[in-house]
Amino acid sequence: MARSKMNQLAALLLLISAALIPTSLHADDAGLVVSAEASHKFTKALSAGFEVEFRSRNNFRTADRVSFGPSVSYKVLPWLKASAGYNLLIDNNREEITYQDDGVSYNNWRPSYWGVRHRFNVSLTASRKIQRVEVSLRERWQYTYRRSRVIDNFDFDNAEWEDHEVRGKGKNVLRSRLQVAWDIPKCKFDPYASVEFHSTRELEKTRFIVGVDHSIKKKHEFTLYYRYQLSGSSSDEPNIHMLGMGYTYKF
Amino acid sequence: MLYTTMKKVLFLLYSVLFTAMAMGLVSCVDDDTDMDDIIAQYQIEPASIELDYSDLAEAPDVPVTDENDEAYNDYVENSSWNEVIELKYAGDDVEVTGAVPGVIVQTSGAHATVLNMSGPIKIVVSGSTANGSLKLYGDKRVQLMLNNVDMTNPTGAAINNQGGKTMYVVLAQGTTNHLQDGTDYTLVDDEDQKAALFSEGQIVFSGHGRLDVNAVGRGGIRSDDYIRIRPGVKINVSSSALDGLRANDGIIVDGGAINIMTTGAGAKGMRSGGLMEVNGGRLVAIASGDTRIETVDGVADTAACAALYCDSLLVVNSGTLKLKATGDGGKGLNAKQDVAFDGGSLQAVAAGTREVKKPKGVKVDGSMSIGGGYFYSYSRRSDPLDVSGTLTVAPGYTTYDSGAKALTIAY
Repeated sequence: MARSKMNQLAALLLLISAALIPTSLHADDAGLVVSAEASHKFTKALSAGFEVEFRSRNNFRTADRVSFGPSVSYKVLPWLKASAGYNLLIDNNREEITYQDDGVSYNNWRPSYWGVRHRFNVSLTASRKIQRVEVSLRERWQYTYRRSRVIDNFDFDNAEWEDHEVRGKGKNVLRSRLQVAWDIPKCKFDPYASVEFHSTRELEKTRFIVGVDHSIKKKHEFTLYYRYQLSGSSSDEPNIHMLGMGYTYKF
Repeated sequence: MLYTTMKKVLFLLYSVLFTAMAMGLVSCVDDDTDMDDIIAQYQIEPASIELDYSDLAEAPDVPVTDENDEAYNDYVENSSWNEVIELKYAGDDVEVTGAVPGVIVQTSGAHATVLNMSGPIKIVVSGSTANGSLKLYGDKRVQLMLNNVDMTNPTGAAINNQGGKTMYVVLAQGTTNHLQDGTDYTLVDDEDQKAALFSEGQIVFSGHGRLDVNAVGRGGIRSDDYIRIRPGVKINVSSSALDGLRANDGIIVDGGAINIMTTGAGAKGMRSGGLMEVNGGRLVAIASGDTRIETVDGVADTAACAALYCDSLLVVNSGTLKLKATGDGGKGLNAKQDVAFDGGSLQAVAAGTREVKKPKGVKVDGSMSIGGGYFYSYSRRSDPLDVSGTLTVAPGYTTYDSGAKALTIAY
């Protein structure tokens, strides 16, 4: 009975993904996520790690982000894990073009630029294994801060480059992820699927992921996944298809 | 054990670093819009417009001889000037020569007042004074021949014609004349004095001399009627206060080499309150003042500078107009009604900032027609040509180059 419910839930996740993805394929971007992590288990409950990640966009042609930072997690209960982390994000911010009232003539152009952000997060992950299927729900609060800085901006009205201040700001996001993972007997590949919602006061983005984990001697863990990120209606960012590759070394 | 683990961790970090570098090399393409050509269009340099004191070759100035022609009376040659008075300024004194029945000349130091109760008279003015003036009363036409005069009035207009009839300002052949007002005007009840050279009646400039007007208190040259400028004259106006050359009822430029430079906030180089007609000559006007902001009863009123400002219809048949505004929101040409550009050359450049008002090369509140000649307009921080009504460009042009900041039409 429980197995049947789990299968239904997994099917539902895939159906939601399949239903949403094709709606905006024509304008979508594509990119890559490559990450590597070193992780150490201090006790049965406590572990810590350090992760480095690289992302690209513009159909794999443009670097989008490099980030790295430590994290720590603690198993509070057999079914509940708490974690916290910090990431230094080095972003290649997309260009920004604004237009005059006629919608055609340029008003301002701010070329893309590299900027630094600091991100802190704390998470609680509840999980339950039902036979070979593990369902988990992760709630993550993340706070991202960027410092104020001055960058170049071309003002078409004034026909000249001007200094443009990108104001410093902090942003709180609640990320809710529901994941289903299968532990296939006698198979070193464990498929999984998840859906994650990023919310501020409104839904900013939704991520649909299907992937597979592969472990070698419990020390080396690889993951390969496909991620579709659907941007919220108020976002300027395009929807993006991501191919993800990750490696974790556990020691 | 620890050493082995550290080695593995280092290997991992190096691998990640290598992978990241490899990905960075692969992903090194910029995804910005290619704006180079577009920005280059926006950053083009405007045509150079500077004051031009060079001689201007002009066709002979042939006076109108048809008495029915409405311009007939604008020609000094069409009147008899048998009654002549000479005023020779010298420091704090002025010497008066000639006596005309019905004409009273009063002097106070180098300040002369001529009361004409007779007919048309000719007044020849020469000499130099740093504290002198000439004021005219009488409802008769007057010919004012400037014959190497250098006159400054620290307390008002240098020349002030209170008469409502035509004042013919004739610049004697080969002479250089200089008029300057003062920073503070001593006002007289019921009398206007709006400029260093002011006339209640129309002013007609002619001759083959040069007139330099330096205005520091009010305008440079102003008529409460109209002004006509004939070929042969050289007029240079510099005003740090109000408008350079202004007429309430219209301006007709038949010729002449005219330079006007204004620096006052909201000041106009040349301003016509009535029909303006350009039939020849060369006008270079540069207005560099910022937008003037006046608050009356709590309501802010703004006025931008303009090299040429016309409240009424502007007709350009021939001649050269070079107009430049460099102050905030300044216009090269600001026409409040229609403009008909049928020939000649018009170059207008607006290079000022747009803090309060939008700077525009040519701004026309009515309609505009372009039917010949060479037309160029440039605005660094706005549209080069702004016509509120209909813009009509006649066919047959050889150049029509419309860019983001400049427009060129040539026939």
